[in-house]
Amino acid sequence: MTDFEPKIVSFLCNWCSYGAADLAGVGRAQYPPNVRVVRIPCTGRMSPKFFLVALREGADAVWVSG
Amino acid sequence: MPLKYGIDPTQCIKLTKDKCGNCEKVCPTGAIEYDQKETTVTLNVGSVVLATGFKPFDPTIFDTYQYSKFPNVVTALEFERILSASGPTKGHLITRSKDHSEPKKIAWFQCIGSRDMNKCDNGHCSSVCCMYATKEAIMAKEHNGDDLDCAIFYMDMRTPGKDFEAYYENAKKKGVRYVKSRIHTINPIPESESLEVRYVTETGQIDTEIFDMIVLSIGLESHPESIALAKKLNIDLTRSNFAKTTSFEPVSTSRKGIYVCGAFQGPKDIPESIVDASAAAADAGEALSSARNTLTKTAEEIIEANVQGERPRVGVFVCSCGTNIAGTIKVDEVAKYAESLPYVEFVTNNLFSCSQDTQNKISEIIKEKNLNRVVVAACTPKTHEGLFQETLLAAGLNKYLFEMANIRNHNSWVHKDQPEIATEKAKDTIRMSVAKVALFQPLEEAELQVDQTALVLGGGISGMSTALSLSRQGYKTHIVERSDVMGGQANNLFKTAKGESIQEKLAELVADVNNDGNITVHLNTSLENVQGFVGNFESTLVSGGKEENLKHGVAVMATGAYPYQPTEYAYGTDPRIVTSQELDQKFISNDPSLGSVKSAVFIQCVGSRNTERPYCSRLCCTHSVDNAIELKKRNPEVNVYVLYRDIRTYGEREYLFREARELGVIFIRHTLESLPQLSIDNGKIIIKTKDHVLHRPLEIEADLVSLATAIVPYRDEKIAQFFKLPMNANGFFVERHAKLGPSEFATDGVFLCGMAHYPKPIDEAVSQAKAAASRAITLLARETIHTSGQVASVNTSLCSSCGVCVSVCPYSAPSFLTEGRDAGKAKINPVLCKGCGLCVGSCRSGAINHRGFDTDQIFAQLYTLNEAV
Amino acid sequence: MDAYITKIKEISERLLKDGTVEAVIGFRQGTVPTMSEPCMIKRSDDVKDLVWDSNCRINLCNYLTNRKEKLAIVAKGCDSRNIVTHIIENKIKRDQLFIIGVPCKGMNDKNTGELQDNCGTCTHRNPVIYDELVGDLVEEQTDVDKYADVKKVEALSSDEKWNFFNDLYSSCTRCHACRNACPLCYCPTCFVDESKPQWVGKADDAVDIRTYHFLRAYHCAGRCTDCGSCEAACPQNIKVRQMTKKLEKDCSELYGWEAGLTLDERPPLDTFKVDDREDFIK
Repeated sequence: MTDFEPKIVSFLCNWCSYGAADLAGVGRAQYPPNVRVVRIPCTGRMSPKFFLVALREGADAVWVSG
Repeated sequence: MPLKYGIDPTQCIKLTKDKCGNCEKVCPTGAIEYDQKETTVTLNVGSVVLATGFKPFDPTIFDTYQYSKFPNVVTALEFERILSASGPTKGHLITRSKDHSEPKKIAWFQCIGSRDMNKCDNGHCSSVCCMYATKEAIMAKEHNGDDLDCAIFYMDMRTPGKDFEAYYENAKKKGVRYVKSRIHTINPIPESESLEVRYVTETGQIDTEIFDMIVLSIGLESHPESIALAKKLNIDLTRSNFAKTTSFEPVSTSRKGIYVCGAFQGPKDIPESIVDASAAAADAGEALSSARNTLTKTAEEIIEANVQGERPRVGVFVCSCGTNIAGTIKVDEVAKYAESLPYVEFVTNNLFSCSQDTQNKISEIIKEKNLNRVVVAACTPKTHEGLFQETLLAAGLNKYLFEMANIRNHNSWVHKDQPEIATEKAKDTIRMSVAKVALFQPLEEAELQVDQTALVLGGGISGMSTALSLSRQGYKTHIVERSDVMGGQANNLFKTAKGESIQEKLAELVADVNNDGNITVHLNTSLENVQGFVGNFESTLVSGGKEENLKHGVAVMATGAYPYQPTEYAYGTDPRIVTSQELDQKFISNDPSLGSVKSAVFIQCVGSRNTERPYCSRLCCTHSVDNAIELKKRNPEVNVYVLYRDIRTYGEREYLFREARELGVIFIRHTLESLPQLSIDNGKIIIKTKDHVLHRPLEIEADLVSLATAIVPYRDEKIAQFFKLPMNANGFFVERHAKLGPSEFATDGVFLCGMAHYPKPIDEAVSQAKAAASRAITLLARETIHTSGQVASVNTSLCSSCGVCVSVCPYSAPSFLTEGRDAGKAKINPVLCKGCGLCVGSCRSGAINHRGFDTDQIFAQLYTLNEAV
Repeated sequence: MDAYITKIKEISERLLKDGTVEAVIGFRQGTVPTMSEPCMIKRSDDVKDLVWDSNCRINLCNYLTNRKEKLAIVAKGCDSRNIVTHIIENKIKRDQLFIIGVPCKGMNDKNTGELQDNCGTCTHRNPVIYDELVGDLVEEQTDVDKYADVKKVEALSSDEKWNFFNDLYSSCTRCHACRNACPLCYCPTCFVDESKPQWVGKADDAVDIRTYHFLRAYHCAGRCTDCGSCEAACPQNIKVRQMTKKLEKDCSELYGWEAGLTLDERPPLDTFKVDDREDFIK
């Protein structure tokens, strides 16, 4: 499992987490490149189906943040 | 502060020694100019707003705390930085000892540089430290676990802000210790960097404790530069060197045209600063109202091309952002990859996509290549989406046919050392964006006219102040007042904390309102129905059985609150037992019974800070202290006692507390568990309590008892329902944002001020009234509103009429169609919709489309993940 | 039971004769002995067909959706709770309905003839809303562990769960009988039939089958009364309640919510409150 690189799809709320991820960049915080971001207008927009699609498309984890 | 770099001329060796010059060599845009000189610019202005803030108190002068010597004695501001993820410890709460160990015990010392005339000259209370210390303690526990011991050493806990008392109670539940004691000395422990403190407990014992870290809750004071500026501007300052204002003009300095907001007006928290800021804008706006829109220019209109039904032709612009992106990501490779994606017709790489010449170039390319969708792979849409949308508009393309791929903030900047993987990630991001943009459709923005009339609900000080500000800026305003008199609670009040006569000022205010041609007053009137939405409300006013319909663009809730009628302390059984307001009335009428008073007792928190009303009513401490002083001034022989739980004379009201003590008013503390007992025995009023210093029972005979009763909101469900306004458990309206939107609601077009928001003294009520007017005018001044095109819309053929969307929407955008073939199905008002997508996610029938974030568009992004993940 | 039937017939006849309602929705003898079938009686002469026994397991609320006429309906505890949800969700109006309440002691499993699983743990046997009762209220069960089966699955490891659900749905043919029997599934177009966007594939791919059951359970969250119609309808005898019950348990634990008990409040997932609990979001 040591070589395991998780593939993570993140749904980030435009108003908080997406901006926070922007700020992480401004602060040049370094983090692993395993995340692919989908910008959503609000976590209220989430549908259970989004998780299922992401997992079916090969993601190891789905992260919703908002 | 804009995120731009500057050169510090005192440090730059090019400027000081004419060496180096590297930055000029590497700057790809040639932005470095060493010969720039400081210039003086003269501006002619009609109004000046001072928002110069405060200076955190420097605790170095406290030699017994040795802040500059002990590494683990830090200021609260430094502690904030330690807790911050972008701070010096990257958010890890560690001591500043050599081993950077995690602290096990932290103490906060309150009132450092506040309420102190011995070591420093700050007699005022800084208003914010009790709350921030509590917040820091909770956050510290959240960081390092519940085992972390947090102790706050305080004099009075001052948490009189909205929801603050609940926060304080919650902190106690979470195990934050509150110790009422002021600590004299911090002693170092030899061979260790921990610190020892000795203090006297409430029971009179001396205790010793060792802490790993001590946080000094430093106060707020005026910056010497602000004080110098005030001298230059010739404005008056207060005793603590804050800008002097009056209760009825709380953001006007002593000099006409110069306004002040924020902590230079007096120490205060964020919401009050925001209120002040809007109020200052309103005052400045009154002076400017005749010039409104005289300097605006109309933009050239470009006809939008119709791309409906066309096959997507996507243009991808990959930005290098100088070296910000290109330094990590191989932009050429990414651009080449983008060419291979479906529907992509054109790809190029720009050095700086946001520069004006590149913008023009993009616009030209869109026209030349006949592109109908655009992806810019660059920085973040949060800052640059609007700019590129303008570029699309300039090229005659609907601005919603655009998507940004964030390959800088979310990629090159955060994966600096992994250029290969970062390049792959950029390809993924662009592929997902292209898949999404291909499904975009041109979107329309709804435009609606804003009725240039305002409705103000409530004719108290707040309502009248709002109306006057609106009127002075040129807007017709209607005040609806349920009673037969203007002025609300102020009709019963004697003096402000600054000593102004309330009755005199109130009469002036009422006269101003009555003489104002723009203001129509509706007395004895109730609001019976409201229809419509922002810009176009229609309200039904009923007065004496007669109905009147009023159209208005905005509404301000200034419905106020009222004093609690106590059932405790034998109130109502004896004329000598009165409420604070009733005592005020005695002062106003110079009641002869006051002359015979020999012993007066004030009892605080009557109906506040208890289980039924857990909030602090904010203004009663100052009110009682002020009235105690008044009694002493009228007759210094009167014995005056104030029985309190915490004295909350925040800000410069603290000087009143000091004055009262100097005049001989005796303050005796009790707790919620040991409330004073009042009995009437043979015509004598006897109050039993416990002396908190001697710990002995105490009996006071009183011939005047003044009860500081709670402020109770009207809890007007009907009005809340009409405008879809939220109310908290205590019955106060809930503002858009506790810190940043205190004078407005989440519901567009509806604003809030005065005690309907929270109990507050007159100066704060007037300030918020002006703020509400200011916020309302940001809408009124626009005349037409363009809403976002990225809103939800209902496909009625799929709608099952279940009403989830109607129920779940925080903005009341969905409603049921009432007529036609689709009656009973939902529709969404694009004007009210904020595009959050809550209804879209909640709709089981899949009947709601989310323009710009539609399900198939998000699916498209996810379906193109497969190569990515 | 006979007393119930007599009373049901008596009330139905009266309502049809005096024109209070246009039809009575109830049960009649089915074509197989272990299944009483729903029926709609429009003439008072036909009232004789009405029956009541322990095979009336189908939830009659399903037949109220979007009806415009005045109706009487025979309702046991769970049916009545779904009627409440139907009223909240604008599927029928209260004043259109005459609810003939039937205190219920549980329905029998169509295969074993023993008490159905859901009835064994039911805590709302009596109708929560009715206009007339056909008998005395029965004692409610209190000392039952409603979620023993859910807890068992919750305790499994990820792999075990995966296998459990794989097995659970292995015989599903996607006939959608569970959906059709469910009073909550009334959308004009069900997500399984939607093609733009395509929420779920149309074939019997295992992933699509799981997706279907998963999403349907989510649609029932906070609304499901555990009436068991879905399981009763399943020709493959799949325990389809396994998923809906998990969400019923969540709603109960997170929001203290039981579906269909009040007309005054919408289910927790239908509402937005600034002070909504969020401590379970981590």
